[in-house]
Amino acid sequence: MTALTGGRTVTAPSAAPRAWGTARTVLRLHRTALLLWAAAVAGLSGWLVWLTLVTAPAERAAVDCGGEDFCDSTVPGFGFGFGTPVGWIGTLVAYAFLGVAAFAGGALIGREVESGTARLAWTQSVTPTRWLAAKLAVPALVIAGGATVLVLVFRWSWDAHPDLVFQEWSEAAAFLARGPATVAYALCALAVGTLTALLLRRALPALGVSVAAMALLNLALTRLRPSLWPEVHRTSATQVVPPEHAWVLAEGALVHGRPRTGVPYWNCGGVPAAVRRCLDDLGVTGSYASYHPQSHYWPLHLVETAIVLTVAALATAAAFTVVRHRRH
Amino acid sequence: MTSRPTPPYALRAGALGKRFGRRGAWALRDCSFRLPAGRVCAVVGPNGAGKSTLLALAAGLTAPSEGAITVLGTDPASARARVGYVAQDKPLYPQLTVAETLRLGADLNPGHWEPSVAEAVVRAGELDPRARVRSLSGGQRTRVALALALGKRPDLLLLDEPMADLDPLARHELMGTLMAQAAQYGTTIAMSSHVVAELEDSCDHLLLVGGGRVRLAGEIDELIEAHARVSAPAESADLTGHTVVESRTTGRQLTALVRPGGPLPAEWRATPPALEELVLAYLRNPQAAPLTPAEPADEAGTAADATDRTGNATEAAA
Repeated sequence: MTALTGGRTVTAPSAAPRAWGTARTVLRLHRTALLLWAAAVAGLSGWLVWLTLVTAPAERAAVDCGGEDFCDSTVPGFGFGFGTPVGWIGTLVAYAFLGVAAFAGGALIGREVESGTARLAWTQSVTPTRWLAAKLAVPALVIAGGATVLVLVFRWSWDAHPDLVFQEWSEAAAFLARGPATVAYALCALAVGTLTALLLRRALPALGVSVAAMALLNLALTRLRPSLWPEVHRTSATQVVPPEHAWVLAEGALVHGRPRTGVPYWNCGGVPAAVRRCLDDLGVTGSYASYHPQSHYWPLHLVETAIVLTVAALATAAAFTVVRHRRH
Repeated sequence: MTSRPTPPYALRAGALGKRFGRRGAWALRDCSFRLPAGRVCAVVGPNGAGKSTLLALAAGLTAPSEGAITVLGTDPASARARVGYVAQDKPLYPQLTVAETLRLGADLNPGHWEPSVAEAVVRAGELDPRARVRSLSGGQRTRVALALALGKRPDLLLLDEPMADLDPLARHELMGTLMAQAAQYGTTIAMSSHVVAELEDSCDHLLLVGGGRVRLAGEIDELIEAHARVSAPAESADLTGHTVVESRTTGRQLTALVRPGGPLPAEWRATPPALEELVLAYLRNPQAAPLTPAEPADEAGTAADATDRTGNATEAAA
């Protein structure tokens, strides 16, 4: 019985090596996912660099500009070698969070809870709370780092050849892929996937539900996006011309000073006087347009980022509550 | 009971109960016992008796629905670093190699890890450290799981059906390793099984769980001493005054397993029961009064239910 207390020199390890040991374990367990993610980030970045530095200049050279200022970009196929793949890559970067949701719900937490290895970890000297902290912090750093690299390289490509890019800034994929919302969505997917897996305790259902939940969140925010920042609303006695690259939400005719849709003012033609008379007959007194100018990109983008990060924080807090109160 | 000075307890349960879900059935109810430190305890009972639930409660993997459990003098969460636990299905990370699994043990048990102990267990099974866990057989996985639990150098080792997957040779060898561990470091071991014979030679303490309740608890020697298998002529046998666990009349002969309440008549033939016989008798007769050690006077209150309950003893004989 003396051996129970005697003969044991339990050195209390300081916090740093303890945390590092847990982090190293998480990295070792998810080595395959880590390598895949690193390969995806490197591959997509490399492709973008190639497109920007090699494909785009070659394409320009193929269209004979002959040293002139004017380049005939109406040549069929011009820009397809650059713009199309850049569009694809933008879509992959923007929706990478769906992959993160699948990973978090399935491999990161779901499989552990389902197969009982979570219990194995919790009966070592690490508390479930600390285990969850490591399970979230290590992937969060890796995912945020990779997503940041992708966003920066994508922005650089996009800005290098604006005339060769087909997408508008307001299109869903490009809107996300050019800013921190990509990182926020990925972190949110990590938290939501973790929470789902802890609640469902099975890998495959958790994978499906977390991907669906993140897709729904994205769908809802895409719908809400125009109203995340006050739009510009303009009326004029003549034609309202939104600035170039504006994201036009609505435009039409004013009938007796009120915006009205479906007024067939475009049928009015002929000499100016005839047009005037035709419009008067329809009661058209001017036109209106509401739109987001390109300068609204950052306010819109940052508001959405903040919303997504709030959801991520709530899901993280809920996950810790679940682990603390309901041990499996 | 003997007058041994009260040792510190590795496990102490008072009115412990667990049910799954708010309206679920009770997996364990009104469970009170004490396991002195340094013992090797067999947790025995049929399938679904609540053995796994009891061990999971002790490991702090699940919280009791009622009552309390004290592990190494503290709550299960605080005792985490000093408790080794091997679950029934021996969960391990299939993607890791054996060596990586042991490294995980070192990383997750800073300041508690003894690599040589874990490596010795693995080496004895002639396991290739570079083999992936997913490629191992059931018995080999058990060995790795035990290595992980032993490498932690625990004060209390909780093993849920540890020997089920092992061949007789490996079972003997691993049991030897466990006993050596217990002897060398004073490790308390609680291991469950539904095969009594598997544990009889190695264990000195018994916890019999049946129907979610503790039926027998105590030192095996003392439990056997407290019971007698008697046979007597049916017409002259009067079992009043003794606690009857089981009785059967064959022809004119009555045989019974009793806890004698006093000296037995000289003309009765009384023999000490075998452990397996004792266990089976209690499992066959769920209404037999349980026998658990009385609560020491100085610690009364925390587990008041753990008293030797004799009451409906004669009803059991009916």
